[in-house]
Amino acid sequence: METLGNLAFGLGVALSWQNLIYCFVGCFLGTLVGVLPGIGPVATVAMLLPFTFGLGPAPALIMLAGIYYGAQYGGSTTAILVNIPGESSSVVTTLDGHQMARRGRAGPALGIAAIGSFIAGCIATLVVAFFAPPLAELALKFGPAEYFSLMVFGLIAAVVLARGSVIKAIAMVCFGILLGLVGTDVNSGTIRFGFGQPELTDGIGFVALAMAFFGITDVVANLEHKDRTDVYGDRLGRVLPSWEDMRVSFWSIMRGTALGSILGILPGGGALLASFAAYMFEKKIAKPPRTFGEGDIRGVAAPESANNAGAQTSFIPMLTLGIPSNPTMALMIGALMIQGIAPGPQVMTERPELFWGLVASMWIGNLMLLVLNLPLIGLWVQLLAVPYRLLYPAIFVFCCIGVFTVDAKIFDIYMLASLSAVAYVLFKLDCEPAPLILGFILGPMMEEQMRRAMMINFGDVTIFLSRPISACFLIAAVAMMLLIAIPSLRAKREVAMQE
Amino acid sequence: MMRIRSPKNFWAGLFFIAVALGFILLSRKYATGSMHRMGPGLFPILVSVLLASLGLIIAARAFAVDGPPVPRFHARPIVISLAGIALFGIALAHLGLIAAVAVLVLVGAVASRESRPLETVGLVVVLIAFSAGVFVWLLGLPIQLWPDT
Repeated sequence: METLGNLAFGLGVALSWQNLIYCFVGCFLGTLVGVLPGIGPVATVAMLLPFTFGLGPAPALIMLAGIYYGAQYGGSTTAILVNIPGESSSVVTTLDGHQMARRGRAGPALGIAAIGSFIAGCIATLVVAFFAPPLAELALKFGPAEYFSLMVFGLIAAVVLARGSVIKAIAMVCFGILLGLVGTDVNSGTIRFGFGQPELTDGIGFVALAMAFFGITDVVANLEHKDRTDVYGDRLGRVLPSWEDMRVSFWSIMRGTALGSILGILPGGGALLASFAAYMFEKKIAKPPRTFGEGDIRGVAAPESANNAGAQTSFIPMLTLGIPSNPTMALMIGALMIQGIAPGPQVMTERPELFWGLVASMWIGNLMLLVLNLPLIGLWVQLLAVPYRLLYPAIFVFCCIGVFTVDAKIFDIYMLASLSAVAYVLFKLDCEPAPLILGFILGPMMEEQMRRAMMINFGDVTIFLSRPISACFLIAAVAMMLLIAIPSLRAKREVAMQE
Repeated sequence: MMRIRSPKNFWAGLFFIAVALGFILLSRKYATGSMHRMGPGLFPILVSVLLASLGLIIAARAFAVDGPPVPRFHARPIVISLAGIALFGIALAHLGLIAAVAVLVLVGAVASRESRPLETVGLVVVLIAFSAGVFVWLLGLPIQLWPDT
């Protein structure tokens, strides 16, 4: 009952006129940018970050969350209409969604994606409201050793559950940690790796880092290929799915939501893993006639619900533990820090209006997306027709202005250029950028917790294994590494990621 | 003879080793302290050693396991884009936002073969109007529009 009271309190915060408008603007801008092909949610959130600087912490977070859902939904629209997944989590949506569009059923595909996302969002909001408080309470009991091990576990899990080579991903985490350590060391006051540059005393700007790896590199990669778009928007069909469509896909939406809610909590899981798993599961258990891959509406409903549920529950580790489970959450933590709030379990007790306001706004945001998207689909389709040669200079402009406005430092723009060069080389060498961003955010926290743990235990390293909770995290991390090393399982993982 | 069978991984491994060595070299200037009282140099060295070993494994495996070649580097998009961003910084510092946006769009347009001159000029005007209108006027962000007089 206490939870319901808190939710009501949160609704009170989120339903203020001011916050409603920010939520709406966030959803709108997020969808607007997310629809543009080749811009994923991370780049979208990073690019739109400056819009929130003038706001207080609660409205800023609410608007950012709106941007994130909007970007997710916009990504699905691109996947269905153009067959270009705006982000990795809508890759599976292209399989059946684009086939539906080719068969003149683009409208119902977009409609069921919106409705599925809305239902998933409503349920996932409740999951967050009920599961986050006990987890935060547990986390308050953690000492530095537990925190350190938890972060190791989180990073390993994020790496194992993502795609690509695990060992390269761990190397990227290390590289990210090292980049995160640049700047003033809080314990000793030493400026590390500053090269005598006064601008580096505060460290490398994380917005510049995120833009370099997710914005600029993506644009450059797109420029290397020819501009190719075949939009199937002229024959939208009716947007509202028929009752028959709803009946067929209802349980797919429910199953997708359940899977997504669970997988979203796992570090590294989030929306990507959720949508893959939901699609596979649907394909396995669906009753005939099975037309997966040829435009089956269940193949759109399940992954779209799952990725929205996962996107939402991935806020749980971020809000309760202060640990990001994916690059978007890393950006959210960065945004909180810019607002002067240290993310962690204390946020819920010290700033309840922030936490419950955000939870309530998740639900409102989903409602807005539904209201916004069904009538506005025509507008989004028009946007898709904008050629890339006009789009990408605009992306450059917003990235550069965005990076500059964080601290009003010209130096950050040069930093963006240099980091983009590094990001481009790593992209060419098939090194995934997501682990690097997670390492960058977690690196300084890990050092801090390790130092504290060593300080209270007189430099005894075995403390990480003698404290039971800490040992569990480390054992789980090692177990995951071993599991992935088993050849048959590794093959399975590769197949799942390829499809 | 030893043959590099996975060039991508080989170069990635070397890259990580180089980064790790660089950080170790720089960290030597900072006190390492002891495990009990960890100095500012200790944690970076620990992470760098881990990174170097991972890099070594990645590079060594490149001799044993087949992998894809390093794809072609197209010089034009990346070089022009980076130049555009750097010039944006220089222009913003000395000439203000309007000139900076113009420089970035004009230079950036060269990165794609498909850009058309007239369209680009139009895009410059639209983006200047948009960024001045939204960022400076609407959001009130402290950005200088014109050069100092």
